[in-house]
Amino acid sequence: MVWVTPGVNTVRIVSALLISLCLLSVASAETYTPGQKVSKSFGKFAQQFLASHCVDCHGTEEPEGNLSLDKLGRVDEVNAAIWTAVWAQVTLKEMPPQDADQPKVIERLQFADWIVGELTRVMRDKGGFQAHLDPNKGNFVDHDLLFGPLPDGIKLEPTSSPGRLWRVTPQEHVTRLNELINREPDYDPEKPGLRTRGDVVPTNHGGELKIYFGTDRIIKWQGGTVAYATSVKSMPAILSSARKHGLENYPDFYTVNSAEATQIMSLAGDILRYMAYGPLSIANPEQITDDPNTYKIEGDLRGLPTALVYSKKIKRPLTPVYDLMKEEGVSEESLRAAVDYLFEALTFRRPSEKESDNYLEIVQQSVDKLGKEDGAVLGLSSIFLDRDALFRPELTDNGKPDQHGRVMLQDWELGLAVNHALRYIQPDDELRTSIVEGRMRTKVDVKREVERMLADASVRKPRILRFFRDYFDYDLGGYICKDSRALGETGASNRGTSHYRAMFDATASTDRLVELILEEDKDVLKQLLTTDKVVVTRSDNVYFGRKRTKEEVAESVAAVKRAEAEASKAEAAELEAAEKALADLEELLKANPDEARRKKKELTDAKRAVTAAQKKLAAAKKKKRSNVNHNVSVASLNGPKIFARVSRRSFGNGSMKPDRILAKAPEDQRLGILTHPSWLVSHSDAMDNHAILRGRWIRERLLGGGIPDVPITVDAMLPDEPKNTLRERMRVTRETYCWTCHQKMDPLGLPFEMFNHAGLYRETELDKPVDTTGEIIDSGDSTIDGEVSNALELIDRLAHSTRVEQVFVRHAFRFWMGRNETINDAPVLQAAHKAYRDNGGSMKALLTSLLTSDAFIYRRVEHR
Amino acid sequence: MINRRNMLQGMAAGVGAAVGASMLPNQASAASSARGGPKRIIFFMQNQGFDPATCIPKGMTSNSSLAKAKLPEPIEALEPYKERLHIINGLHGVHTSPSHSAFFGALGGYRGSDGVPPSASTIDYELSKALPQTLLPHLCIGMDSIENMTTKPTIANLSASGAGQPIFMHSNPNHLYQMLYGGISSGDIRLQHEARSNVMNQIEKLAAAKGYALPSTDQQRYDQFVQGFKDTNGLRERLDTVSGHLRKFAPEVDERYTKPEFETDWHDVLLDLGVSAITSGITNTLTIGSGRGEIFGAWKGLGIEQQGHNLGHMKQPDNPIWIKIRQYNSRMLVRIMETLDSVPEGSGSMMDNTLIVYTSNNANAQHTNGANWPVMLLGNCGGIFKTGCFTQLDGKRPINALYTTLLQTAGQNIDRFNMNDKLAKKFDAGNGPLAEVLA
Repeated sequence: MVWVTPGVNTVRIVSALLISLCLLSVASAETYTPGQKVSKSFGKFAQQFLASHCVDCHGTEEPEGNLSLDKLGRVDEVNAAIWTAVWAQVTLKEMPPQDADQPKVIERLQFADWIVGELTRVMRDKGGFQAHLDPNKGNFVDHDLLFGPLPDGIKLEPTSSPGRLWRVTPQEHVTRLNELINREPDYDPEKPGLRTRGDVVPTNHGGELKIYFGTDRIIKWQGGTVAYATSVKSMPAILSSARKHGLENYPDFYTVNSAEATQIMSLAGDILRYMAYGPLSIANPEQITDDPNTYKIEGDLRGLPTALVYSKKIKRPLTPVYDLMKEEGVSEESLRAAVDYLFEALTFRRPSEKESDNYLEIVQQSVDKLGKEDGAVLGLSSIFLDRDALFRPELTDNGKPDQHGRVMLQDWELGLAVNHALRYIQPDDELRTSIVEGRMRTKVDVKREVERMLADASVRKPRILRFFRDYFDYDLGGYICKDSRALGETGASNRGTSHYRAMFDATASTDRLVELILEEDKDVLKQLLTTDKVVVTRSDNVYFGRKRTKEEVAESVAAVKRAEAEASKAEAAELEAAEKALADLEELLKANPDEARRKKKELTDAKRAVTAAQKKLAAAKKKKRSNVNHNVSVASLNGPKIFARVSRRSFGNGSMKPDRILAKAPEDQRLGILTHPSWLVSHSDAMDNHAILRGRWIRERLLGGGIPDVPITVDAMLPDEPKNTLRERMRVTRETYCWTCHQKMDPLGLPFEMFNHAGLYRETELDKPVDTTGEIIDSGDSTIDGEVSNALELIDRLAHSTRVEQVFVRHAFRFWMGRNETINDAPVLQAAHKAYRDNGGSMKALLTSLLTSDAFIYRRVEHR
Repeated sequence: MINRRNMLQGMAAGVGAAVGASMLPNQASAASSARGGPKRIIFFMQNQGFDPATCIPKGMTSNSSLAKAKLPEPIEALEPYKERLHIINGLHGVHTSPSHSAFFGALGGYRGSDGVPPSASTIDYELSKALPQTLLPHLCIGMDSIENMTTKPTIANLSASGAGQPIFMHSNPNHLYQMLYGGISSGDIRLQHEARSNVMNQIEKLAAAKGYALPSTDQQRYDQFVQGFKDTNGLRERLDTVSGHLRKFAPEVDERYTKPEFETDWHDVLLDLGVSAITSGITNTLTIGSGRGEIFGAWKGLGIEQQGHNLGHMKQPDNPIWIKIRQYNSRMLVRIMETLDSVPEGSGSMMDNTLIVYTSNNANAQHTNGANWPVMLLGNCGGIFKTGCFTQLDGKRPINALYTTLLQTAGQNIDRFNMNDKLAKKFDAGNGPLAEVLA
């Protein structure tokens, strides 16, 4: 996204919207309760607001931004886009301009609420109006109203979240299904970081989220990496998330469409067969042996399922589905056991008697029709499509509303909400027992379970890590398609897929670093922003290295040539000496043939010496040619060996290695994960850095600022000038109508020009000293506003801001509540921030506060 | 968001298809362009690369008519059809990373590789939405070794409906037959169809029951979930009402389905099923993945003992193995054309309104940088496409430009497909459709 260069005058519509205003006297003595419908008419309220605050500039005669609002009528389908822009500008306090008289706080809030209400009503059957629900618009709620004193007249109501169905995430779904066919290792406190049961299923070597069948039993295969990847059985995630950045999974984002449903049905059959028969469902009997030599792979079977050998040791969970298919015939008891087991494995709760009966009937009918084997598989597949296998209900059907109309989650719904907040697999025994025994009904119950799980490292909590991925967006680097030449110019390798592999490795490394900081649980955000620790692989010596200047590259090339010449000279001298010795000996033998027998061994040795010297010389030349990266002064990253979580083998030997080093980043070059290649590349594009995207990230995720949507008429291109730096090319964003928004982003992103678009540190750009200056403008925290010399100074300043901490809390709220905050949530947010601060920057304290809040525990169900 | 096409797409990847009377071919709506244009498109993607020497007549190096040329041995089966043929050399796909297959990138025009999820929808999916509507907008079939088709009867490597949304291709003809023609089947397939229908009906009932009294904010979203089952089941029931029509097109199930001697038996019947889905009006877009988008594949039925990756390491020109594979492809293309020729449509035949795109998911070779991506087009679709000729391009326009052309002929007003202006500056010397392809 590059938002620059308007094409037509209408670009000004938003950027110069509502510039001058006339006075409006608002004596708002009434009480305002956020969230309550604004029962005011267009004529008596909205039109008055426009007339008072907008029409002076946006009138009929030469209106600012070529936008006339004096004839803007009631909200309808045609003018919805204009009203949406008005809503954004007024809500973000972009309009009226700062030098104009401002509407009172309550008037502004009511006007914004009125527009949202009208747009929601008008657009209901026309695609709907969801902008205010988008997490990227969460910051449209005034930060100062959430964390500062409220003006008179605003009365909050006790908060809650809507009753809802929450579709499971792709990661959650895959991990849930994986539990049926794979047994992951238990947590090993000696090797924290290794993938264990309860962790999310990691993406594979190419970044694809897949379920793999039987890879834990493969002991031999024919062929190499791609052959292995093709031979093994795998299935990609069926549910998807459309978003690439930010919080991905609010409850109201997704449903399950019929394409996904039919694929789930198909996958269910494969899973059920594997549960029943293991590798026999995907291989021939002779392929299953503990002595791979007994299975003769004849000919070229590479890429075929028959090119695999599986061990005989059963590793998958043996479940009632296995029991059902193993026994002779069919009994109702075994069928019901399989139904009930699967239901709980897929929905995480016991089936009701009716649910159990319903699915039993389906399975029995299928068995009657098709026989046991096919019938049971088909019938049981239906459970995979149960509503609660795909959506998590928070409907509070059995509770009684309190005086505010809110109903508290309880029993299974509360237990599963807590479980879902942290985990992707079924509740553990303690939580399950608490639910069944009626001990999940109060805040105390929630606090007990949350604190227990947070304290136990063996209870894996992938959802917390997911929050940090969504919040930081550091996991996208492997998906950014790089131009090969541009990549090569960074100093990183552009051979094959090595860069993309390195980026997926970097994501896993950053995951591990986040976990290490969470383990310490002190000043978590500040640590993430300023740590000097890095988790790395060997290839990261390049990515954490420094891009050499033109002169240094030339010197490196020259040095290598000198060394090569020296080495060659020595090797050549050795060869010459050996050749001379041989020649002398041959001369001697020629002159004295009788000596031949006696000197035979000596002659052989002399010939061998010549051959060895020749090889040595050739090897020296070859070595020099292939291994030197002149472009990079590589980092020297050393430290203790640790592990990162990676997929099971998906690409033959050598792929998906968990080994890592915990090292210190090169001094004065890096500071926290915003300066790590995983984050930098995630915020880059094919050819270059993406300073605007980086700046936007800081503005929104750290400063809590809002950026209006780019007008569709804007031509979003920077000029194509290969001889100019990105900063120079971004001059076009300084045009007045662009700068209004771009000043919020560009000066925050440009300090990261101290790194190139593969994440390497650099001191020059296009052979000139790189300009890394920037500025924090109008952040909302005056103590941090001002110019910065580079990204490290910028980050250091941000890391010490209380506002930044509060914005972090706002994002955590959104992630765990699955919705944007409202002013009614102010007490929850303040309490969460206080808990975080009072406990030394503890994520555990923050989470405990959020998960025991009214917003998490209470639901309000309307209009059933 | 859910829409009807998304819903129908599901059935192409799963179970329970049906056809509605309004979707019959003779009633298909008019072509999307005033100049004519395709009503249906078939993509034939042979893996391991498409060496231009196996299709360009000897000595032909510049734009020429094919009228007096002799087609090379690998595609000689197309000789009687060369007035419908356009051989195009010199497109590129360097941005798709096609070495060892571009996977989704071949039809998407973006970077793909083994294990890399699709980053956007692919051209076949987009065309299926743009072409005159049929019941299933898109059907994919994949041909591979018998072992792979048996143990992995569906796989997704080539087509996608969006970022991270792969579309599965069918490789087990028995499953595909049940999906397309379960309602008119007999024997075991009939039993399977009935059992599956029963299960799907019950799932719909259970899903609907759990949608009662949801919060208003969730009701619509959940209704879409339930509606998916309703539509799937409803369409399957409507299948019975047009069974007479479908019987005219459905292939007969024989021993090749149940007891294939070679994988090519399944390849053949999969093609029959795919083509019948076109002729019966079930779908408007068929994607055929010979080798299923990967770098393996087997053709033992042609007398080729080697299989898999080694085939890609061989030079294709004058190679008896590759002559056999390409000849087999060409015979399949002829079968498609003959079948479509036999179905009347308007004042001509169905083939008059059909375009076949033949190429490889590997550009010109197994190990390639994608600098050349040969393509053959068959069919002129009411005269909108240039035919009977060879065109040599300069390697400066990407396969995306061809896909843009196809979408434009299907009535879509776009200048680029899956390529933003920034990438286009580097990878596309032009803009809009390929003028060289249009008549």
